Amino acid sequence: MIKIKNLTATVNDGQQTILNGLDLEVPAGEVHAIMGPNGAGKSTLSYVLTGKDGYDVTDGSVEYLGEDLLAMEPEDRASKGVFLSFQYPLEIPGVPTMTFLRTALNAQLKSRGEDPMTAPDFLKKARAIASDLKIKPDMLRRPLNVGFSGGEKKRMEIFQMMMLEPKFIIMDETDSGLDVDALRIVADGVNALRSPDRGMLIITHYQRLLDYIVPDRVHVLSAGKIVASGDADFAKKLEKEGYDEYAA
Amino acid sequence: MNTQPNFTPAETALGGVLPHRRMEAWKWTDVRKTLKGGTGLTLVCEPHFEIPEGVNVSRETILPKTSVMGAIASRFALESIVINVPEGFKSTQVLRISNLEKGHASLCIKLAKGAVLHVEEVHKTSVSGFVNLDMQFDLAQGAKLTRTIFHHDHAETTRIATAHINAWADAEITQHTLSFGAALTRFETRVALLGANIKADIHGAYLLGDKRHVDMTSYIDFSNESAIVRQSVKGVVSDKARGVFQGKFHVRRPAQFTDAEMRHDALMLSDTCEIRAKPELEIYADDVACAHGNTIGALDESSLFYMRQRGIPLGQARSLLTQAFVADAFETMEEGAKEDFLTRISTWLEARL
Repeated sequence: MIKIKNLTATVNDGQQTILNGLDLEVPAGEVHAIMGPNGAGKSTLSYVLTGKDGYDVTDGSVEYLGEDLLAMEPEDRASKGVFLSFQYPLEIPGVPTMTFLRTALNAQLKSRGEDPMTAPDFLKKARAIASDLKIKPDMLRRPLNVGFSGGEKKRMEIFQMMMLEPKFIIMDETDSGLDVDALRIVADGVNALRSPDRGMLIITHYQRLLDYIVPDRVHVLSAGKIVASGDADFAKKLEKEGYDEYAA
Repeated sequence: MNTQPNFTPAETALGGVLPHRRMEAWKWTDVRKTLKGGTGLTLVCEPHFEIPEGVNVSRETILPKTSVMGAIASRFALESIVINVPEGFKSTQVLRISNLEKGHASLCIKLAKGAVLHVEEVHKTSVSGFVNLDMQFDLAQGAKLTRTIFHHDHAETTRIATAHINAWADAEITQHTLSFGAALTRFETRVALLGANIKADIHGAYLLGDKRHVDMTSYIDFSNESAIVRQSVKGVVSDKARGVFQGKFHVRRPAQFTDAEMRHDALMLSDTCEIRAKPELEIYADDVACAHGNTIGALDESSLFYMRQRGIPLGQARSLLTQAFVADAFETMEEGAKEDFLTRISTWLEARL
């Protein structure tokens, strides 16, 4: 589904190299986890894949469903199914959550040449998903993420993800700020989206989330590249022994 | 050496010095420089009125005015149009004032005790022109005035609209202004809070493109107790346009327990546009809560990226964020009028972003 080859990216006008020859392949239907110490380049990877300004790709390539992902605008990547659950979801004052999401969904449908979703269908879907995620209807009328707690913002990311039904999902530290109950709700939502034609990349510090969302592969990212990989049990080993062995 | 300045052709026609940049109150809105031509400046403005039943209109001799533009208006308008709203008046009908397309006018709207009136002003031209309006609103005890001002002029028009609002005890003022600017525009609101317990909400927004200019100036004179005033002006400026905000709260010694807030927030959408802001507080009473705030910035890049990551194209993301930013100024507006303003704003944004 996604093939990352020798990805090298810098910030601060090339003064600092964050990703340094990263190779990674996530086939459709698989969930891969990326773990690693602070500053390894985990969040940078998520931003480079989604096209945020300020990150310069100086080498390497990313092939997504046979296309050159890096050549696309952020909104085109989104329309083609790339979704990032942000580590720190943004507050959008003045734009009600439902308006925001309906605009996003219809923009994606339009970009794919599909018909927009009608208001009643949209509402029906939103209500059902909100209820699964234990999101109160009143939150959907409020401006997106404004005044929400850290946990509520994370739940709202999953809500958006379930509404937009992306193909390739990147989750950046989704577990931070969540209590155990919220973590279970979020994990149930994510697990419900697992399917043979969907790929996921889960970025996390801790193994805790991986108890709930069991990955197919676990990779260690250190100093901008993948330095070790293993199966789900490998995450438990990492949790116990730390990242020292893989430090640059 | 004390020399009389040379009159411009416009000043010769109007018979006096026009406000210019060396006058503190007009330093960013130079009428003399903008108003070049000497023709069509001395016309009489003939406003159209849609008058609610029970309100009467008469014409009276104009009393002398002290302000520069007010004095010019009284010289050329010949008569003052006086609208009397009787005691306890209440109506679902709006007093609509339009055809403010050229020339000078002097208007006086008097609300008797407990009268409630909604005034809708349409300041619009489709060809270039010069408009100079001097308006007065007198609010007797307990009167309630709602003023909705819509402005969309031809790019070459110069418009000065000054409103003096005199309010007595328990009066309420709600004013919302939406302006898309012109060659030179100034909406000036001067409020005298003469009685106690007056409530005033004075909000507005300007959205400017090309080389348009708008100046929203206000002066609120607090001279009695317990006034509650909220003022918020939002600006969106692009291209080579210029937005000016001058706001002053003058809280006199008897105006104890005043609760007043002033905000001006502006977004600059280009590197060549300009915002000039001067929020001022002058306070002599010692038991008051007064605040002012002023921010100028660009759209938040992180928010834009977040929206694009969800599939919203850049132009639409900018438009949504800007609309939300501006809409805040019209939060306290009545539903119908609010919808109308928001539609006009989104139409303007969609054409530009």
